[in-house]
Amino acid sequence: MTDTQSSAAKNRETPDTGYEHLAPLFDEMAALDEKDPARGELRNKLVTGHLPLAEHIAARFSNRGVPREDLVQVATLGLINAVDRFQPDRGTDFLSFAVPTVMGEVRRHFRDASWSMHVPRRLKELNLAINAASAELSQRLGRAPTPSELAKHLDLSQEQVYEGLEAGNAYHSMSLDEALSPDADSDSLGETLGETDAALDGVEDYESLRPLIERLPERERTILTLRFFRHMTQTQIAERIGISQMHVSRLLARTLEQLREGMLGDED
Amino acid sequence: MSVGDGDGSPDEIELRLGAELTNLPIIRSLTSSIAMRADFDLDAIADLKLAVDEACSTLITRAAPDAALRCMFTVSKDEIRFVVSIRSTDDSTPSSDTFGWRVLTTLTDHASSWVEPVNGQHQVHIEVAKRRADGTAA
Repeated sequence: MTDTQSSAAKNRETPDTGYEHLAPLFDEMAALDEKDPARGELRNKLVTGHLPLAEHIAARFSNRGVPREDLVQVATLGLINAVDRFQPDRGTDFLSFAVPTVMGEVRRHFRDASWSMHVPRRLKELNLAINAASAELSQRLGRAPTPSELAKHLDLSQEQVYEGLEAGNAYHSMSLDEALSPDADSDSLGETLGETDAALDGVEDYESLRPLIERLPERERTILTLRFFRHMTQTQIAERIGISQMHVSRLLARTLEQLREGMLGDED
Repeated sequence: MSVGDGDGSPDEIELRLGAELTNLPIIRSLTSSIAMRADFDLDAIADLKLAVDEACSTLITRAAPDAALRCMFTVSKDEIRFVVSIRSTDDSTPSSDTFGWRVLTTLTDHASSWVEPVNGQHQVHIEVAKRRADGTAA
């Protein structure tokens, strides 16, 4: 996600990160023999020294329905992985490597923690596999795939694909997609309100609808505009916004429901 | 599965349930199941679900007390047709100048509505049809 990249870039450009003193320890550790007990000590120093990084990333994802302590723990786990896998001789600095790694770990946690009812892991994975296959096939076909095309591509039975698609309905829309994007996309999409306005001209419930649309979060409004005023398909919107088609579908359903509720409230 | 008319055509699925918004997930999940099994593409499946949601919500708000929502799906080679109707005290057809109607026409290939008198009240219908996308074989 672009967000990840920009954080990494920021860290590369900023000369004073507060972690410079730790960098030489990676070379020291790499130079030691696999079995050298000094490695463990260096590893501990590196993990402890970079803890504020994990806390910082965890903080970015807080207030989104997952307890802060859980996030710190998950981010720390990601940090440990990053320390273990980092190869200083590859030419990148540790932060550019660690930030996406830790964020990836937190993201996975959100993905697993945000199913609104208990869904077996097998189904979650099936659903994720279908999501990935769907994005790939959409690119190739120039349209959304059918269940039979997904089944063929993933070497699954059609019943399994149905099952995986249905599992997506249990997915709570508070997912990482959502946690990540509040401001991420807004610059390119800020113009949509005026356009919606023009397109709604002549709609008889325009007056009660307009404030409801105005109150929608930027991204929901954008998706609504792209689907109903620019007639883009959900798959095209998904590609444009950088989330899955299933997620676009969930957000649209929720947005339309909110608008309907709002209109009803208005009549009373 | 057709229970209404007794002429159990293999392509027809009928659902009759209380006109409550809380029943929408049932209709939604049936819609999804029908469209998946007809091997519509994921966009068409999602669009049909949203359209069925919209059509049913519109009628539920016009329901006479204790009226049942009657949903009928007809699956053919090229399209899925959905007709929903409700008994209402209101004899006006749902307006085609609302945002809700625009939602229906954007999401489907056909949308229409009509009202017929039934025992001093009115049966309000909405029909939508979603065609199979080009390139997806039946």
